[in-house]
Amino acid sequence: MVTLVSYIIVSAALLGIGIYGISVKRNAIRILFAVEIIVNAANINFAAFTRYLNPPTVSGQVIVFYSIAASAMEAAIGLALILVAFRLNGSIDVRKMDKLKG
Amino acid sequence: MVEVALTIPPDVVFIAFATVTLLAAILALQAKELIYGAIALGASFAGIAGMFILLDAPYLAMLQIAIYVGAVVVLILFTIMLVRREEGEEVTEQRERGEGAAGLWIAGLLAVAIAGVAALAGPNLPSTPPGNALPVSQLGPALVTQYPVPLLILAFLLSAALLGAMMLAKVER
Repeated sequence: MVTLVSYIIVSAALLGIGIYGISVKRNAIRILFAVEIIVNAANINFAAFTRYLNPPTVSGQVIVFYSIAASAMEAAIGLALILVAFRLNGSIDVRKMDKLKG
Repeated sequence: MVEVALTIPPDVVFIAFATVTLLAAILALQAKELIYGAIALGASFAGIAGMFILLDAPYLAMLQIAIYVGAVVVLILFTIMLVRREEGEEVTEQRERGEGAAGLWIAGLLAVAIAGVAALAGPNLPSTPPGNALPVSQLGPALVTQYPVPLLILAFLLSAALLGAMMLAKVER
């Protein structure tokens, strides 16, 4: 039986995968993957909660609409930053980006 | 539920989409080659689009396919091609001892905590969606009548992000 809880569990698992990626990975592109996975986990929650709402409203879907557009922008900016970092450092290893460290 | 699910039980469809989404997400982070990881990320996004269809949000599923699978993953693939390993240093995923385990513990505990709270609150949450799903045609009027200001802000933000990304990635000569 698919209930609201099923969607929340899938979303929580995706959030866990994303947090693992952000905290452990060193490649900047992999970290971007993890951020996108977390955003998608949030989107599933919005879509699921708005579907199970009674009476039905459209607001959850509107929020997911904005969220998808915002995270596409975030991916474009993030990838441009990764390109700049690669050009400056010759590497996209985030552990080596320590030039601002005192 | 959607018409396709009439022959196959919706539970099976949901479990299939959930499995694809979760396994592809894990593969995206763990694949040896970054390029396979990007393709797995696309598969994960496609699984989430399937879940949107199960949630009676076909417009979101279309957006998910068009923007995530169509644009973001392709953008990532191009960036991976530009950030070539032969030109720069290889990013080693060699990590200090215990770091991977610590990340796994934090992520696992958080996910189990959220899922546990949701399961405990399960009896109070609605188990079946209300019978009448909202038609897609309601989304457009809601965007321009109920939420016009966020829509305009989003438009400005999109153009600003486009210009910013172009400025950042520009090669100065």
